[in-house]
Amino acid sequence: MTAFLLGVAIFLLANVAAGLVRVIRGPTQADRVVAAQLFGTTGVAILLVLSVAMDARPLRDVALIFALLAVVISVAFVKRGWVRAPGQPSRAEPSLPREEP
Amino acid sequence: MSVELMVNGLTVVLLVIGCFFFLAGTVGLLRFPDLYCRLHALTKADALGLGFVTAGVALQLGAWHEILLLAALWLLVLSAAATVCHILASEALAQGVEPIQAGAGRAGSMDSEVDASSAEDGSEGGDGARARRGVSP
Amino acid sequence: MTEPLTVGFVLDGLVALLLVGLVFRLLRTRHLFEAIMLYVAYGLTLALAWVRLGAPDIALAEAALGAGVTGALFLNAWHRMAVRAGADERLPMESDP
Repeated sequence: MTAFLLGVAIFLLANVAAGLVRVIRGPTQADRVVAAQLFGTTGVAILLVLSVAMDARPLRDVALIFALLAVVISVAFVKRGWVRAPGQPSRAEPSLPREEP
Repeated sequence: MSVELMVNGLTVVLLVIGCFFFLAGTVGLLRFPDLYCRLHALTKADALGLGFVTAGVALQLGAWHEILLLAALWLLVLSAAATVCHILASEALAQGVEPIQAGAGRAGSMDSEVDASSAEDGSEGGDGARARRGVSP
Repeated sequence: MTEPLTVGFVLDGLVALLLVGLVFRLLRTRHLFEAIMLYVAYGLTLALAWVRLGAPDIALAEAALGAGVTGALFLNAWHRMAVRAGADERLPMESDP
């Protein structure tokens, strides 16, 4: 059973490694954020499987933190990180102070 | 003995199904042509894949409060994934990232948020984006 | 008993390879936003490495501070830099390869 659980963890980690391709050559910034979001969820699954395989209870708390973390990154991206192209309107975005060069 | 074997078999089945959904999510993330399609694939992996993995793991736990913790974790990830998908998609739509329409071929440039001028020139459904831009406050 | 150890060895090796590959790409890329996202993924993988090393508390701190808060701060700083670069158009922030 332990070997099977570790095999599942290896498979999920291989999924993470494959999703890296989307981070590296995602055409837009949002694609990269989506890939990071998938990392967070797959990390939660890996930690849950490992918590049974390694018989370690605190790993489920780490999984909880992982679940929160991907949300923090995505919300920070939407609220502060998404840079508008010059022609685009900025929706519900307070204009940052632009300093003189 | 037999009950334990049955629980273990059920765990194996649930984990394999969960792995299948994670694989589907990753393949969709890599192969789908559009941001919105990729969000669709991501949400499938978030909800179903993690749900099956959580169910399979919960069968291996003894205490009920740990199963409750896992259920709370899954509900948290479920609501968070839905919320993040919604705000990403609505923000992309508000900024004029064109969704690929059925039968329209390769309408809409992928880099439309990066380079506004090329998106204006390259996309065939530019007036749709312009109308949506007019709607957004 | 020897079979789980072997599978665990493969898992550890995959985590280590992923860490090295992530850091290599992170240092080599010229695309700033991609570097931030790679940094977040690196934090997640490093937390997994701490878990495999038997230190879940350090994994907790790494995931929360190293990847979460620092990633959000990097996104904030990147946004300010990009807005400033868009103001005087000297720095093309989006230089896709």
